[in-house]
Amino acid sequence: MSSTTAQAAVGLLNRERTVAGIGFSRWMVPPAALCVHLCIGQAYAFSVFNLPMTRLIGIAQSAPDDWKLTDLGWIFSIAIFVLGASAALLGRWVEEGGPRRAMFTAGLCWAGGFLLSAVGVYVHNIWLIYLGYGVLGGFGLGIGYISPVSTLIRWFPDRPGMATGMAIMGFGGGAFIASPLSVWLMRMFSTPTHIGVAETFIVLGLIYLCFMMVGAAIVRLPPPGWLPPGYEPPVEPQKLITTRNVFVYQALKTPQFWLIWLVLCLNVTAGIGVLGQASAMSQEMFPARITAAAAAGFVGLLSLANMAGRFLWSSLSDVIGRKSTYFVFFTLGAILYAVVPITGRIGSIALFVLGYAIILSMYGGGFATIPAYLRDLFGTMQVGAIHGRLLTAWSTAGILGPVLVNYLREYRIAQGVPKAEAYSTTMHVMAGLLVIGFIANLLVRPVDPKYYYKAEEKPHA
Amino acid sequence: MPEPRNPASSGNPGSAPPDPLAGVKLAFAWLFVGIPAVWGIWQVFVKSLALFK
Repeated sequence: MSSTTAQAAVGLLNRERTVAGIGFSRWMVPPAALCVHLCIGQAYAFSVFNLPMTRLIGIAQSAPDDWKLTDLGWIFSIAIFVLGASAALLGRWVEEGGPRRAMFTAGLCWAGGFLLSAVGVYVHNIWLIYLGYGVLGGFGLGIGYISPVSTLIRWFPDRPGMATGMAIMGFGGGAFIASPLSVWLMRMFSTPTHIGVAETFIVLGLIYLCFMMVGAAIVRLPPPGWLPPGYEPPVEPQKLITTRNVFVYQALKTPQFWLIWLVLCLNVTAGIGVLGQASAMSQEMFPARITAAAAAGFVGLLSLANMAGRFLWSSLSDVIGRKSTYFVFFTLGAILYAVVPITGRIGSIALFVLGYAIILSMYGGGFATIPAYLRDLFGTMQVGAIHGRLLTAWSTAGILGPVLVNYLREYRIAQGVPKAEAYSTTMHVMAGLLVIGFIANLLVRPVDPKYYYKAEEKPHA
Repeated sequence: MPEPRNPASSGNPGSAPPDPLAGVKLAFAWLFVGIPAVWGIWQVFVKSLALFK
């Protein structure tokens, strides 16, 4: 390829070349975002590879040189850590370069992570998988997660919650596709003397590359100052919805940013802890009534509730407001965490499932409503970069939630509490966390005007 | 300060004459992401029915 052709190709990724032309429908942008989020949502399904990767040498059972589950657990942990770090560090780069460059880069990183991991599996070197899926894939996760957020908010100023909820719902649903697809591919590529993990990684990497490139190709930015027909933006600020903008570094100095950070962290901590324990908890609370297969169904149902909640709660937040939506999460959540253990004592599986389905819907809703909350407080200008910084709350909760749940459960069992009862204390602690979240949300006030962006600060548009 | 509305120089996708292929493109875009998403949701839904057996 000549240098001129290469420059022209790179030019296609520029922010200026991404601006929509005449007749472009804003409803093309959610599928573009979903092309990315449905792919990177695979991260939640990575565990389907864990057991097959412990038998790559021994095939029928683990050989002494095979990897241990503890070695493999680091792959996902590294990816999630790099997700948070890259979203925080590269948020401004994503914002300034526009969604196409970010989606393109995310696609290369995500697919490249799979391909490098395939090499790692082939030569049986776990460090290549840490580097591939963990680091390179983690960058794809972080960049991909935040890449469409501010674009969607710009296209849907009338319904920002619904728009970002649609994309973030895709992240929740990506595992639904990846999990059965990965199992099917591994079955296709496996023989009596070989487990087809490397081939599955290659096929998944190529599929994800195609999907994410389609997303990058069809995404568009609205022209400067564009507004949906018939939409009149408020001229004066309304309670928590500003008409001004805050620069990302200024946003970090505001108490509002850290209160929202706490709101997200506590909401996720409570939900993620339950999600990790759902299978064991359902079987131990209803012994002999919920089997292992039924427990897998319970986990699936919670995942559906998590995904649906991302769209429904974030859409509702456009009507009742962001602060009120989080008040619902923290109030209803705290009540449900306190009450659900009783369903085990009275033996009601239906109420148990219903209670946790609502809790998990609010866990998903918490993720999906955050970008619109940030838009309300800090304006649209750098919302993607600010959202990227905020995702460190997710990384923190990803460690805090499971550790808290596991530690409390072990502690209670060591005290002689029956397994079925051991979850009650955990759930009450989760309810307590949500009460703290309620207070943090209560303290959120409009941003002090001294933090508003002034033209002389010269950020990008 | 509120940003300017719909400057003529940059075009306005929302109020422009409709592209004759816009509907087709939109349908393809949604089907492209919708079909795998619905397939995945159906897989999980079928699996979750085990809870009620």
